[in-house]
Amino acid sequence: MQTNLLSKVTNAKSSSMSDKIDHPQLCQWLNAVATSRDKKAFTQLFHFFAPKIQRIARNKFPNEAQASEVVQETMSNVWRKAHLFNQNKGAATTWVYTVMRNVTFDMLRKIKGNKEDNLSDDIWPIAESMTSEDESFDDHLENKQLLTVIEKLPEVQQQVVKGFYFMEMSQEQLAVHLNLPLGTIKSRLRLALAKLKMQLGEEHD
Amino acid sequence: MINHHPKFELIQSFVDGDLPASLSAAIAIHADMCPQCQQQIAELTDQVAEVSFEEAFLDRFIVDENQSIESVGELNADALDIEDMIAQITLSDDIDKVEPVVEKTMLFNNKAYTLPSALNNMSFGKTSHIGKLSRARIQLNENEIHTSLLQIEPGGSVPQHTHKGFELTLLLDGSFSDERGEYVKGDFIMLDGSHTHNPVSAQGCLCYTVANDALHFTQGINKLLNPIGTFIY
Repeated sequence: MQTNLLSKVTNAKSSSMSDKIDHPQLCQWLNAVATSRDKKAFTQLFHFFAPKIQRIARNKFPNEAQASEVVQETMSNVWRKAHLFNQNKGAATTWVYTVMRNVTFDMLRKIKGNKEDNLSDDIWPIAESMTSEDESFDDHLENKQLLTVIEKLPEVQQQVVKGFYFMEMSQEQLAVHLNLPLGTIKSRLRLALAKLKMQLGEEHD
Repeated sequence: MINHHPKFELIQSFVDGDLPASLSAAIAIHADMCPQCQQQIAELTDQVAEVSFEEAFLDRFIVDENQSIESVGELNADALDIEDMIAQITLSDDIDKVEPVVEKTMLFNNKAYTLPSALNNMSFGKTSHIGKLSRARIQLNENEIHTSLLQIEPGGSVPQHTHKGFELTLLLDGSFSDERGEYVKGDFIMLDGSHTHNPVSAQGCLCYTVANDALHFTQGINKLLNPIGTFIY
């Protein structure tokens, strides 16, 4: 049986009911952590958020240890990802909430589905700014770079790669078109891809 | 124009993080294409966050009757060694670098589709084909809930069927129509056992589908096709 605690503690805690969150202060602490790795500011954030996170997690996880893990994981992410917080895009509470929900979501999936795929950051991106206009620009450069690398491949491999990826022909169609055995098409494609991977991998480092 | 949206209760559970990954991803993908729902999600997240971290929120929790108020008050101090945790976390000054999102593409019948970024780290099974339908199962391990990418080639259709559970179809590319009308890219179509439909795609389409029970074909000769229900679902 459950009961609402509110009715029991109204008198004892009525003063806290009027507590309002000091948003500018939270923002300032988060920014201090981001820009100067300020441990004092982090300690303040910790004292503000950790007990609440613990309390919320306790409702989603069966035991205290798991709830503490949510606190530990959420607060480490706050420490390590504070630079991704953008106060023009939303409140500090919203950002920390997102971090906490993502940690909780991935942990629950691990427990229930036995999957450690950490999908939450794809579903609720922590760094929204990463998906802004400059992305298409990068992609364009990436394509251009890809083309230059492809042009460096031996002619016979270029034919197969271009036919398969740019003209969207199947390997079977390519075999007919180039009058080659299917096995040859497959091995050329494999070789070409291995080379591309190596080249692109090197240039990305 | 997108005409079909997730209902409010779903959006709320999405913001709370209470939906399975399959449906969470579906709403994220829809919101990426639908400014209206994106706005609603942003506002709701602000509110939920505010309420969650308000001091007073702690008092509103519903707890077991046999749990005394004193133990609620002491809980945090007992469970957390605050100073120790802070020291451990701040031991390293390393920051997490975020890699730019790399677009992933997937081929169906030699047509390349760009995957929505919400699916970037999901693993896909082998694509199987029946007629003009191709399906790649997404391996999410959510028990009775099955998630797939379903491609319908131009002129293809799914025979008239109903669902015992729910069936979500999120249109990622192209269009299809059924008895209720035409659907376009971004439409979020949630059906349950009370609906019967026969989707036809004249131009071809790619859908993200989530269902928690096999489709059930309802008409004449198509009843013989009931094994396809298992295929699609």
